[in-house]
Amino acid sequence: MSALLALLAGAGAGAYGFRTARRLSPARRYLVGALLGTVGAVVVSVLTGGCAYSPEVDAAQHVLGIAVAGGIGLAVASGTSVVLASAKGGRDAGSIGSDIRTGTYRLGWWWPWALLLPTIVILVVFLYIPAVQTFTLSTKLVRLGAPRQIEVCLANFSELLTPNPWILVILPLVAVGVMWGLALWKRQARLGSMSLTAATALQPFGIVVLLLALYYMFNGGPRGYRGIYVNTLVVSAGTVAGGMILGLAVAYLAFQKVRGMTVYRTLLIWPYAVSPPVAGILFFMMFDPTAGIIQHLFELVGITFPNYREDVFLARFAVIAASTWKILGYNVLFYLAGLQNVPGDQIEASVLDGASAWQRFRYVVMPSLAPITFFLLITNLTYAFFEVYGTIDYLTRGAPAGKTSVAIYEIIRVGVENRDIGRGAAQSVLLFLAVIGLTVWQFKQSESRITYGGGG
Amino acid sequence: MRYKSWFALFVVFALMFAACGDSTDETTPDDGGTDATAAPGTVTTIDIWIAFADGPRLNYTEARADEFNAAHSDYNVVVTAFDSYNTVFEQAQLALEGGNPPEIIHFFEAATQEALDTVDADGNPIFKSVTEAIGGRTEILGEPVILDDVVSAARNYYTVDGEFYSMPWNTSSAIMFVNQDILDAAGVGEIPKTWADVDAACEKIMAMADAPKGCITWPNHSWFVEQTLGQEGVLLANNDNGRSGRATEVDLDSQGMIDYFEWWKSLDDLGYYIYTGVQRDWDGTNTAFQAQEVGMLIYSSSDTTVITETGTENGFNVVAAPMPYNGDMPYEGNLIGGATLWLRNGLDSVTEDGALAFMNFFSNPANAAEWHKITGYIPITEAAVQLLKDEGFYDESPNSLVASDQLAAAADTPAARGALLGNFVAIRDVITAAAEDMLVNDIDPKQRLAEADAEAQQLLDEYNSLFGG
Repeated sequence: MSALLALLAGAGAGAYGFRTARRLSPARRYLVGALLGTVGAVVVSVLTGGCAYSPEVDAAQHVLGIAVAGGIGLAVASGTSVVLASAKGGRDAGSIGSDIRTGTYRLGWWWPWALLLPTIVILVVFLYIPAVQTFTLSTKLVRLGAPRQIEVCLANFSELLTPNPWILVILPLVAVGVMWGLALWKRQARLGSMSLTAATALQPFGIVVLLLALYYMFNGGPRGYRGIYVNTLVVSAGTVAGGMILGLAVAYLAFQKVRGMTVYRTLLIWPYAVSPPVAGILFFMMFDPTAGIIQHLFELVGITFPNYREDVFLARFAVIAASTWKILGYNVLFYLAGLQNVPGDQIEASVLDGASAWQRFRYVVMPSLAPITFFLLITNLTYAFFEVYGTIDYLTRGAPAGKTSVAIYEIIRVGVENRDIGRGAAQSVLLFLAVIGLTVWQFKQSESRITYGGGG
Repeated sequence: MRYKSWFALFVVFALMFAACGDSTDETTPDDGGTDATAAPGTVTTIDIWIAFADGPRLNYTEARADEFNAAHSDYNVVVTAFDSYNTVFEQAQLALEGGNPPEIIHFFEAATQEALDTVDADGNPIFKSVTEAIGGRTEILGEPVILDDVVSAARNYYTVDGEFYSMPWNTSSAIMFVNQDILDAAGVGEIPKTWADVDAACEKIMAMADAPKGCITWPNHSWFVEQTLGQEGVLLANNDNGRSGRATEVDLDSQGMIDYFEWWKSLDDLGYYIYTGVQRDWDGTNTAFQAQEVGMLIYSSSDTTVITETGTENGFNVVAAPMPYNGDMPYEGNLIGGATLWLRNGLDSVTEDGALAFMNFFSNPANAAEWHKITGYIPITEAAVQLLKDEGFYDESPNSLVASDQLAAAADTPAARGALLGNFVAIRDVITAAAEDMLVNDIDPKQRLAEADAEAQQLLDEYNSLFGG
């Protein structure tokens, strides 16, 4: 039953993934897509011995197995579609290289491959092989130095999720449905109508539904992922939002022509030279309940500052503050560069038109900074997801009671410190999927909102 | 558009690399003690990885390595320092898997079972029993063998199947340090011996007009929980704490455990216990004691010398005393903590003898006595104890004798020997996580320990399914 559903999921996802292959008629398109998706799902099922569909494992694993089959189907079909499209070249080339005219290398077909070889070798050795190994390890119980390994199929994943299979099936469908519906509504609404305003205002609601759905899909128990999920959301959102807003604010101030501005600008960039663990140590010392300067300052005015390591809110705040401070210089640097490129004539024009300082900032400066903002959003998210490990390790070590243990910290804690390599790998895969999801979403969002000036 | 897509791909792969990439830092050996005296080519290098990166303990080790190298010109002992037991354990396992592993590795007591069980890619044990390697010799390369003279507490803990697999080095016990000035000011006549005594003393201390911030603290480290179980005579695992056979059941919600957690929570609820908010927080608890924010500190004897001296510098008297115990149950005994030196399997006889000679030299009576003086780890051999007594060291440093006395008073029972357990490091984390949850989130100890027990049992089951016979 589950195996059949998995094949259907593979076929359906394949058909969806292949829908953009414009060379074929719609019916054929879906048929080929479904076929490709099914083949993908079958190959994976055969390779894993169909372990996720066996009656012995719990229902959550069946759902996961079906989802994996669907994901593989989608990947195979859309991958094939993209490859086919770019192989054909020309204006049919889908999203990649749409402006490239067809052409050939004079030296022969192998010439581009020869040029690509060094990159490919590096990618294979340092990215693809470790990635494939991570996927393999995530389905096992593995420890360094153990005489054997045990296959556990998707158990490393399913234990992170709620054991109720219906929640796992229904919530993602609801979330996707809501997001889809909202997007559709917005697209169909007439320009300037009330309906469009409402649809636009409600767009963020889709994200909220998705985040909530994920919250309930994760297991809240000790082995579950709900706590880590919440920590990661709070710390990443706090760090990215704090870092970028403060970065822009500070850059805007530092951009003003005041005496000694080069000194200010140089000093502002310094925190970036500090490594994340050092940022952690600095804040650890500052906020230390016994010897810290913050405690001392509060005592001067007669307030006992609570121990941040025992207080969930303060502990997260300290982690966010340290991470934000560390990345601030980087953001300031890029925003300063961006501000120098804001077209002066537009500013002048807006001044002549009687725009206030805030209006100038909001309607002229911010849109010009959109490409930089987008770039910073990605680098800041990368930072918030991956580099806060050092800061957290020195600042809170995940305390109190694991409330500041974010995804990357937990991966290292489980996989390296506890030597539970399979579970660590499973969490890596989860983080990988999350980052892919976020990246896709960001690009979808930004395509409509960012102009880089000029064509392209 | 065109470059954005590629940029997206690049970002995705970069992130993937960050997520899946090998997180091991390439650790370059620091070249302490490489001033070899013999010509290259004839010198056998012996790498030793230790878990002490702090000045005094690393300097001590490097100084001994230099002395050994000077006395044995055909050997060059190279010390590499890591900042914690966990790190050296991780790095050693990775090196054994496919790197350049050292000849001697410093492993902590909780890793004993895993060190015994771990095999290399060909299925051979990675460590060789030092008893077997010594093979009954009383002297190796002129260095007298000290293994037979090791004090009973360390002997009892590290003897597995009747023999030493590793060479004891730094061995401590959990003891209590009190700020005598605070106790005197509060009118606490006698240093508390039992939990009830602690409660009574804390009541007096906290009732003072200029009461400190709290009364007592200790690191939230599973080691103190294990110490308590030893005192209460309660087993942590079946098969005599894993001593008569491989442990297959853990018991984190025994009555002894619940009693301890409830007492701990009651101290915290009354504001007597100061929780620093960080697990395994040796620094924070010590700082609180030195800042006189608490009157009592339960800690490892490994820092006796430093704690006593720093207290004096900070203007108060530090007195060491045995770790308080549960007065409602008969006292069985405290256990040791610390680490031993493990000998890598498959060395050629020249290298192996060099490594064995160094291990025995390293803990010879004079060195063991010196090590005890600068740290507070117990003198590891009877000869070293005798040497210190003859010198009159304990007359001027009575605090240093407490741990040895406490260990000597312990009964030789499975509970007081301490548990041998697979996946112990992770199980310890489960215990400290439960304690933190209880202290920070105000959760009922009994219920939380039942959850912890299930979690730890799963860890042990998984370990045994991978390593068990």
